[in-house]
Amino acid sequence: HPWETVTTAAMQKYPNPMNPSVVGVDVLDRHVDPSGKLHSHRLLSTEWGIPSIVKSLIGTCRTKTYVQEHSVVDPVKKTMELKSSNISFTNLVSVDERLVYKPHPHEPDKTILTQEAIISVKGVSLSSYLEGLMANTISSNASKGREALEWVINRLNAEIEEFTASARGTMRNSMAAAAFVEK
Amino acid sequence: MNSVGEACTELKREYDQCFNRWFAEKFLKGESAEDPCGQLFKRYQRCVQKAIKEKDIPIEGLEFMGPSKGKTENSS
Repeated sequence: HPWETVTTAAMQKYPNPMNPSVVGVDVLDRHVDPSGKLHSHRLLSTEWGIPSIVKSLIGTCRTKTYVQEHSVVDPVKKTMELKSSNISFTNLVSVDERLVYKPHPHEPDKTILTQEAIISVKGVSLSSYLEGLMANTISSNASKGREALEWVINRLNAEIEEFTASARGTMRNSMAAAAFVEK
Repeated sequence: MNSVGEACTELKREYDQCFNRWFAEKFLKGESAEDPCGQLFKRYQRCVQKAIKEKDIPIEGLEFMGPSKGKTENSS
């Protein structure tokens, strides 16, 4: 999909069926900087469906994890960069992600996404198995992310078609009414 | 999509609609000019700030959290 479509979809990414744990999105700050780039700071709230035994250990009021996201859209250079890191009360594991969307250099109707994630574990030492598990989850999340945007793009297109169809219907009705009046 | 503050969801929806339209139809086409959603954003923001304080969400480095900080640009 062309870069403009992907960028528009990325701004409206949630809700989507591939990320059911995201339950809230808020814009904390948004401004256009002097060079014309749009900066947005967003807060995402996620609910992971933590098993009740874990809930009883950490306290039920702490079942939400928050992700802080900073995005920069440059409409001239056509780049969108997203940096996100999770804020969680336990602070044991932090995941920082960086995504960059750019138009494909040779195919203007396509967009290239580069994605990297840095996982840091502090305090209690987790086994390398768990770290490997997180790395796998993150790479499968990357393809989930593409699916999610695909879903949003389809939804946006369907909304546009619906809107056009109903506008056509309205125009036909009002043209018929006008013709009737003229007679 | 809901807001982190349940009471802010309606304000958020109004702002989002305005922003998404401006973003796709003006900003991406290079007509960045004026953001018409300023008023909606301010109202929505006030609500969100309150909700974040109430829920004690630890957000760092954003100027609205402390009027005494006086930072004009954050460079995270």
